[in-house]
Amino acid sequence: MQRAVERRGIPTVSITVARDVTEHIKPPRSVFLPFMMGHHFGTPFHTELQRRIIVTALSRLTEAEESGEIYSLPVTWAQARREGAVIEQALGLKT
Amino acid sequence: MTDNSEATVQLRPGLWATVNKRYPGSMIHKDDYIPLAKLRKPLGEARLSFVSTAGVQPVGIMPFDTVHPIGDYTFRRVPSDAKPADLKIHQLKYPTTGALRDLNVIFPIERLQEFAREGVIGGLTENFFSFIGYNMDAERLERTLAESIAEQVVAECADAVLLAPA
Repeated sequence: MQRAVERRGIPTVSITVARDVTEHIKPPRSVFLPFMMGHHFGTPFHTELQRRIIVTALSRLTEAEESGEIYSLPVTWAQARREGAVIEQALGLKT
Repeated sequence: MTDNSEATVQLRPGLWATVNKRYPGSMIHKDDYIPLAKLRKPLGEARLSFVSTAGVQPVGIMPFDTVHPIGDYTFRRVPSDAKPADLKIHQLKYPTTGALRDLNVIFPIERLQEFAREGVIGGLTENFFSFIGYNMDAERLERTLAESIAEQVVAECADAVLLAPA
């Protein structure tokens, strides 16, 4: 999918949580996060993390130098969940 | 940072091989790399589109066929000014525990709207594009669905595209 768009001259970047799948399909640019499937942009209500992931992806549009490069963000799923839980508590969504 | 740190270990190692063993031929492998296209304007002026395989679609339209044995090769347009409450997830293949509480964890429509308002990006295409990740015939997907969406992205004058393969 991503390759079909890039072939038309439009730069693309994807977010992946499955590094081996991405290595097999070789999209032009990707950002890898070691997160649970279905949680590519992090944890609920953690807007700062969601924004950081998108900003990182957008920066790859201008900064990636080689096709197929997989960029890793130094964040863990445990950390994302911990921070998410604190945010939900502060918002009164979790007791 | 690129490789070999603790942060690069995925939660389900061997996913490609696992799926391909169970459903031979369902997972694509490529040997070549596509030349990088260049962003033709500054990010702050660029129109961004978003393509998702999360099965997100507007409420009230024909749902994706999530139980078809070889998958659903159609796509839906999702207006980029939609609110999460206007959208619904139809799919069975990834955990939606987070997305059902905050859709942005898989379909970050509110964050993208914020970035457009703040001028981080120039704007959004009128529509985003959505399909389901359960498609057993990868070659067919590549030949039909991927090409159709790529054409739509061009038609909506996207300068760049963010993708989230759920």
